[in-house]
Amino acid sequence: MRRPGIPRVRHPATAAALLLVVLLAVPSALSTYWIIVLTAVTIYSVVALGLGLLMGRVGLVSLGQIAILALGAWVAAKLAFATSMPFPLVLLIAGTITMVLGTLVGLPALRLSGLYLALITLMLAGAITVVLATTNFPNGGPGFLGHTESSFGNPAVRRPDIATTDLAYFRYTVIVAALMFALVFWHVRSRPGRAWAAIRQSEPAALAAGVNITTYKLWAWALASFVTGVAGGLLAGSVGKLYTYQFPTRDSLILLAVVLMGGIYNLWGAVVAGALMKLLPALLDNWGLPPDLLIILFGVGVLQVLLTAPGGLAAQVPKDLARLGRTLVALSGRRAPEGDTR
Amino acid sequence: MRRNGVFVRLTLVLVASTALAACNSNKSPGSTTDSTTAPKCGAGTGQKATGEPIKLGAIATKQPGTDFTDIPNMAKAFFDCVNDNGGINGRPIQYLIETEQTDPGQVAALAKKLVESDKVLGIVGNTSIIECAVNHGYYEQQGFYIIDSGIAPECYSTPNSAAVNMGPRYSVDGATQYLIRQGVKKLVLDQSNVPGTGYIEGGFLLIAKDAGIPTESLKDNVPIQDANSVALKAVQAAGKDGGVVLNFTPPEALKILQAAQQQGLQDSVKWACSTPCNTDYLAEALGPQWNGKLGVNAELNLTTAAGPDSELYRAVQKRYAPNIPLGSFSQMGFVEASIAVKALMSVSGEFTAKSVNEAIKNIKDFKTDILCKPWYYGNAPLHIPNNTDRTVVPQDGKMIEKEGCFPISEVDPAIAQVRQIEAAG
Amino acid sequence: MPEWQNFQPFIVSGLALGGVYSLSGVGMVVLYRTTGVLNLAFGAVGAMGAFIAWSLVNTYGWPEALAYLVCVGFGAVISLVYGILAGPPLAGRDPLVKAAATIGLALILLGAMSWIWSDKARSLVLPTTTWRYSVGEVFINWTQIIALALGVLVTLATAAFLRRTGLGTAMRALANDREITAALGVPVRRVEAITWLVSGALAGAAGLLLSNLVGLDAATLTFLVISSLAAALIARLRSLVVTLLAGIVIGLVNAMVTPIFSISSYRDMTPFVLAAVALLFLSRHQQISFARRNR
Repeated sequence: MRRPGIPRVRHPATAAALLLVVLLAVPSALSTYWIIVLTAVTIYSVVALGLGLLMGRVGLVSLGQIAILALGAWVAAKLAFATSMPFPLVLLIAGTITMVLGTLVGLPALRLSGLYLALITLMLAGAITVVLATTNFPNGGPGFLGHTESSFGNPAVRRPDIATTDLAYFRYTVIVAALMFALVFWHVRSRPGRAWAAIRQSEPAALAAGVNITTYKLWAWALASFVTGVAGGLLAGSVGKLYTYQFPTRDSLILLAVVLMGGIYNLWGAVVAGALMKLLPALLDNWGLPPDLLIILFGVGVLQVLLTAPGGLAAQVPKDLARLGRTLVALSGRRAPEGDTR
Repeated sequence: MRRNGVFVRLTLVLVASTALAACNSNKSPGSTTDSTTAPKCGAGTGQKATGEPIKLGAIATKQPGTDFTDIPNMAKAFFDCVNDNGGINGRPIQYLIETEQTDPGQVAALAKKLVESDKVLGIVGNTSIIECAVNHGYYEQQGFYIIDSGIAPECYSTPNSAAVNMGPRYSVDGATQYLIRQGVKKLVLDQSNVPGTGYIEGGFLLIAKDAGIPTESLKDNVPIQDANSVALKAVQAAGKDGGVVLNFTPPEALKILQAAQQQGLQDSVKWACSTPCNTDYLAEALGPQWNGKLGVNAELNLTTAAGPDSELYRAVQKRYAPNIPLGSFSQMGFVEASIAVKALMSVSGEFTAKSVNEAIKNIKDFKTDILCKPWYYGNAPLHIPNNTDRTVVPQDGKMIEKEGCFPISEVDPAIAQVRQIEAAG
Repeated sequence: MPEWQNFQPFIVSGLALGGVYSLSGVGMVVLYRTTGVLNLAFGAVGAMGAFIAWSLVNTYGWPEALAYLVCVGFGAVISLVYGILAGPPLAGRDPLVKAAATIGLALILLGAMSWIWSDKARSLVLPTTTWRYSVGEVFINWTQIIALALGVLVTLATAAFLRRTGLGTAMRALANDREITAALGVPVRRVEAITWLVSGALAGAAGLLLSNLVGLDAATLTFLVISSLAAALIARLRSLVVTLLAGIVIGLVNAMVTPIFSISSYRDMTPFVLAAVALLFLSRHQQISFARRNR
């Protein structure tokens, strides 16, 4: 994993324009079905952002992010039912509590690294999944666990007052997601980002340069947990009813696959990852293809990225497009295309 | 670069071979397409329908570990047969089946897609772990009356859903009643730890209490990795002369039953199972050790039953869906489709979502030899039209009937309420 | 708290479960010791082999013994192909990357299994499962004994092989540093190929046994590796004997918690909790990492 580098916003205008398009133009062109799909894409982009931050910037792999997402959703649901806090506050607190829990987990685990860290996050995720399966998600019931087995009338997690329709909630989600991306971007561009880059390059060198490795690793871990917790809150509001089915172990592996495929060195990669995870299944269903095909494609994608294109799609597609452009130009000029600069 | 090429080729080979395997996998040796006697469905004209299609939709769960698509697929087979026989007044039925992976957002989106984008006129054949819970409010808002094979509690407790099956709670009730008739001294319910266990055990507890039998309620996470312990635990809890009711999907139930058999426990207690166990696949996998020892609550008649509807079911399966096994899933799909066709045939005037759903709601007295009692919809706060069941047991690789139709106990309050509604009109 | 005699049968079932975890754990650690790759697709490979065997027997009417051989052979071949294609390019990379790549293989196999064999109640019953004898009031069948014995056999054989034979030494050197090993004249590709082949055959055999002990179900068998990983992690991916013992302990604890109804529903956490606790305890003084010298 050789690519350091602090990103510049090459085209801040492009990013802003894209955001406006997504907020305004896109929704009116789509049916409710696709809007709900895109809401899911946005939410999982934020989750992918967290994992991409850990993997791409600091070099840590966590296989338990879906469990963290479930925790965030749990906290948000509990707060939404038990209190009448405004929704942004619910998101904020859910994110903070998730951040604290994630940091507690990260504290002892960060003495491990590499494969060990990844495996222990898998173990912890497994433990959390079993606990959630046994205690269930809050659905308005009494007590700390907030779960009641009453058969009907289960309320849905409330949405913010300004965004109760699917369309409005989509816009709300996009804005919150943009804030999360901005938060991470700001981190990456300033001191933590430089420290992370140093750590990923070489831990001993960073240590020698006076970087407090543990602090910065924890900071990254906390940040990733925070954004994932907020995503969990958004998810709770989006789907309304939470079940353990939404957070299977399989999804942690698929998340890893799509984050790798999307590209971990580029914040756009997180958006690609979210689209791979939630848009592609909807498209395949639309075209009548089996969802199992997707799992196979993700497996191939992981292998492809690890074996040949570490930058993932977000880095590869511009290169491929550039190469395609050169080839087209060369063909139209009836000259041999220039050699690949790789 | 060379590696890139390898990978592209490898992917293509992989996907192609998997697709080939998938297409060929369900071909059982010796299957022939019967071209002699084509079954007559619906209008029975033998002419292909060619008018403007009437759209219907369905949502079913399909993910690794849970696959309910046999139900809508069999419904589609029946619709195909009807379309080959004149359709609905000459118009074919176009059936859109959506699959979901128990993601509530996706499930909600699919309902909106069917109703608002695809503009289906009716929804028939839904079989999903969470669909009723997530979408019932939307259907009530849109005035859609769903004919489904229910699983979630809301399928049986809301006005816009009527199921051809009984669902886990009432099926467990039926299995419990069977065990009580077998004279057990203690009852244990073991079910998969998925949301809704409290609802499912509700009826079990009431019926056992009414019979004065002590109970124990157990839950196990699925997929089960340690079936031996699960079987042992259930048998220990039941004790001597005890009975165990299982409520799991067939693969999980099979794990437990096989572990019990390996431990020689099939004779230690009386075993019963809710309706998912009612499949010849399971009977075959269990083997002769279990002959007569597992009482399965059967919401539908045996697949081998005599009677014109059962015969039509088998004929349609053979001709239009040979890859779907005979069993309660495909029977449910067949019955739901039959009801839908009857409703469609009763529509006079234009086919709109309103007229079709009105016709569905007005279904009354739908008789079929696959169900114990006539099926109905009607205007009511809840619907449990199938509330009379049989008990079947495995025998030499097949399920055979042990107890004929018996009513589910009215100790369960919802059943009492439904019987009152039935009596009133 | 239940009485002692209620616990007794769970000791036996716990040992059987322990055999399951040990077999998978040992299979993964063996490959790790010899190639540096933690094969997270171990379960998926075995599962697919078992499904193929099931299809051969039930759909095409092949004799059972032949189908089982195909299962083992399938495991061997698919692992070999993977090892040849993905081994060399990843050789110099972090063990984490190598393990992540096997996740790719696991996903491919899982998707393929899901597609080809849709979810039905299937069972593949080895003849050894029907031979059983009683221990107290519980029965043990020969498949459970074979699983445990196979785990022990592989542990002992691999330990001896790695230490005593030339090929074994070559494999250890390979796992340690591929480039130097190649420079020393060891036929690196051939050694790797043999390792993957044998490991794959073991995965296939394990798949057959596990399909009997746990069930013929794609998702269960594939994700069983996560629980088995706990045993491997407690051994810090190094000692085969510790993996074996850890697997048995995990199985025992998991089963013994079953009759304690107050915590029984949490018993599936056992592998994870034990692994997390053991790992954090073992690493309390040191920094454990697998970082390569140059990334």
